[in-house]
Amino acid sequence: MRVAVGSAADLDLDAVVAPFRGLEPGLCLAIEAADGTPIARTTLAPSVGEVVTREIPGGALAGGRIRVWGDASGGGLGSALAESLAAALAAAPITDLAIAAQQAADARRLEEELAHGRRLQRSFVSLIPPDVPGYDIAAHYEAAREVGGDFFDLFRLRKRGRPLSVVIADVSGKGIAAALLMAFVRPLLHAAIDHTTGPAQALERTNKILVEERRSSLFITALAARLDVRTGHLCLANAGHEPPLIVRADGSPPIWLEGAGPLVGGFPRLDVPEISTDLEPGDLALLYTDGITDARATSGERFDEWRLLAALESSRGGTAQEVIATISDSVCAFQEPAPPADDITIVAIRRLPAA
Amino acid sequence: MSMDTTVEQVEGAVPITILALNGELDASNFRELIDTVKRLYDEGARKLIIDLADLRFMASSGLVALHSIVQVMHGQDPLDPEGGWQALHSLGGDAQTEVRLAGPQPAVERVLQRTGLDRMFVVHADRHTAIDAASAAA
Repeated sequence: MRVAVGSAADLDLDAVVAPFRGLEPGLCLAIEAADGTPIARTTLAPSVGEVVTREIPGGALAGGRIRVWGDASGGGLGSALAESLAAALAAAPITDLAIAAQQAADARRLEEELAHGRRLQRSFVSLIPPDVPGYDIAAHYEAAREVGGDFFDLFRLRKRGRPLSVVIADVSGKGIAAALLMAFVRPLLHAAIDHTTGPAQALERTNKILVEERRSSLFITALAARLDVRTGHLCLANAGHEPPLIVRADGSPPIWLEGAGPLVGGFPRLDVPEISTDLEPGDLALLYTDGITDARATSGERFDEWRLLAALESSRGGTAQEVIATISDSVCAFQEPAPPADDITIVAIRRLPAA
Repeated sequence: MSMDTTVEQVEGAVPITILALNGELDASNFRELIDTVKRLYDEGARKLIIDLADLRFMASSGLVALHSIVQVMHGQDPLDPEGGWQALHSLGGDAQTEVRLAGPQPAVERVLQRTGLDRMFVVHADRHTAIDAASAAA
């Protein structure tokens, strides 16, 4: 930043330092002339935030700058805070330092809140899939910086034959509101699946509750599936979600299992069709959220479905975990250096080839 | 990432406003789109055609925008995009005709179909058929 005072006499160091007090113990400030000559350096002692060093030589300050960093103990600035401080300071004249410090504090609070949200969300998503003999199951979940509303749920039903229930869903919107609705809907859907005859009915019931209870301030795309683990028969209902991909062991191109109703929470009735297929030994079913296909490169290009197919093709024959890693690595490399803008969720279920 | 909007008026027994979207409709701009329609409504627009011919991409937040736009054109307020789904319930199952969609590209049309939003709208092949239909209905 440019220092907007003409000489050292104009510089009230206490006023410069004041906004940073209480912000972060161990914070260091240096004021430098345009040529980099140090003019003043201060350290805020951890508890009281006092200036312990103060050297202001004469000379013009015009064109100088202020640098802020953490102390040598490492207890000072986190890198995120340092970045936000640097950003806040970059454009600010010296009189705006108080505002800059406030913005930095706000940014830190927001950052902490987002981190809480991500942890909260992650705690709802069990990454360890249930053990189903004869199947290879893996899941991947990566939260966006600004928490999204993805979730998935894999569990064995307490019914004859212990079918596997698979749910993948995406709450529209971002932030705490989406994470909270996700936390509300996930057990609702889980219970509905446990107490209905099939995926379509479970989605219908969940929709009814959301619509009638008027809890749906956001909407949700959801895919619910039931896998008969003995026969490989997969029955599913799709409420506005990305359709699942089926990759056959015979080497034929992957196909989308199309057929969907509207998203959950938007209409009084869904009338979702129930569709089904059979997973033969070696076949793989892939469920995912739009964080994959909508991922955006810095060029503005979207990852799109064809790149997903390419990643799927290149990992054909791999384990469920390998397939997922290939796709998530591919998405990650595509949007580099940007972090994911949206949650990314992938579930892969592969019926093991007959021994 | 970015999207341009163009507004045109077609005079007739009932004036029709055409809002053309060019670019990508996503989380970064869907609120602006809602604001644009709010302004058009305040200026007197009552029949709206959204021309999607040059819209290359629509994310799920675009669906929220489309829903909110229907609300706006039904004179409903406030326009909290995170609180708007109740109005859709009250609209019932029939497509309304205050807002028509025209000329979606296959990718956008697929999103509309996949999410059931096509239930809310009459989707026309292009803006001309949409104008004809809106004029005939007026």
